[in-house]
Amino acid sequence: MPFTEEEIKARVQKGYIVESPEEMTDGYRKALAIQLTVQADTELMSAPSYWMAARHAPSANTQVSAHAIIQDELAHANIAYRLLEDMGISKQKLVYEREPHEFKHPYGFDQPLDNWADLVVANGFFDRAGICLLSDVHRNTSYGPLKRALVKVDMEETFHLRHGEVWMRRLSRAGGAAKEILQRSVDWMFPMTVEWFGLPDDRKRHSGQLEYKLKGLTNDQLRQLWMSSTVPLCERLGLDVPAHFDEASQSYVLDYPFPCQYDASEKRWLFEEGRITWRQVFERWKGRGPMNEIYVESIRRSRGQVSSWLN
Amino acid sequence: MEEAVYDVFARKQRSEPLRHIGYVDATDDALARVYAWKTYDEENWFEMCVVRRSHIIPVNRIDGPYAARATGRLGRHAVEGR
Repeated sequence: MPFTEEEIKARVQKGYIVESPEEMTDGYRKALAIQLTVQADTELMSAPSYWMAARHAPSANTQVSAHAIIQDELAHANIAYRLLEDMGISKQKLVYEREPHEFKHPYGFDQPLDNWADLVVANGFFDRAGICLLSDVHRNTSYGPLKRALVKVDMEETFHLRHGEVWMRRLSRAGGAAKEILQRSVDWMFPMTVEWFGLPDDRKRHSGQLEYKLKGLTNDQLRQLWMSSTVPLCERLGLDVPAHFDEASQSYVLDYPFPCQYDASEKRWLFEEGRITWRQVFERWKGRGPMNEIYVESIRRSRGQVSSWLN
Repeated sequence: MEEAVYDVFARKQRSEPLRHIGYVDATDDALARVYAWKTYDEENWFEMCVVRRSHIIPVNRIDGPYAARATGRLGRHAVEGR
């Protein structure tokens, strides 16, 4: 191992690009492996989530665009798992040999998308979160193979976002029942995505991902970046969101207790119960959501049978 | 069922050099061609090629994913049935 932990941290902060696992320190390898596993699992679990929702597509054309997005997500997952494989971490074990609750995707992808509005708001909100997170990694990562792989990912996630925004606009303009169901999707998915960015900076004192330059922005900066696009979009579309721009602090402020509890069976945030601790949030995430096992099973259900035919 | 790693190279136009754009895992060359074409469909490529990673011969480096021949590692892994 050519570098000590201190040396590699100092070097990457000056722009050094790591090109092979052999150059990594243990700390760098662990931080990158966690980041890539979260990235791969998130892309993978978005696929069954979107696939089941695509049944609600209103036409043949929209079926095609929904499935094109699903195909992209699976390719993005494959890219991240392939990078892990090059670090000596088995993709087969990650995809096929973990318990469903051991996957590291966000809680939002454990929830059912029950209609077309849920799917297009997921594209508008969740894929926007993906773009915020991954474009920051693309600009800043010190790992060369990941930087190059993200060219394709960024390009395609932008298409997903556009799909979501175009359809949100269409449903909103239609008014009536279309706008009501769109608003219901926004109501549960807006706080879900805000929570996705994780612990506030004042609670997270030590970040290996920043020290090893695996990303550039903090959790709160990324959350602000997401809100700076999402809140104005919803305001333009006449949709209510529980956040506003605060002139005094020049930042977006949440109008509800954060973090707070979520009733997964009702798909409703319990604002009235007030603020909870991050420990309670982590317990909820750890317990996983209602679709966790169903989504994981849908990814791997036919593998054993086909493998037995071929062996 | 054993898969090998294939690296994918492509260029958008005649005048451009082939560029490494990604990788796929496949059980044979024919499937690698299909997976590459369907996976990396973000552009209308003028040319796309796949190269089995274990066939890449490193010239000056003995580290990194292409150095399998230099270190004895081959870019292959078993896909175990369940």
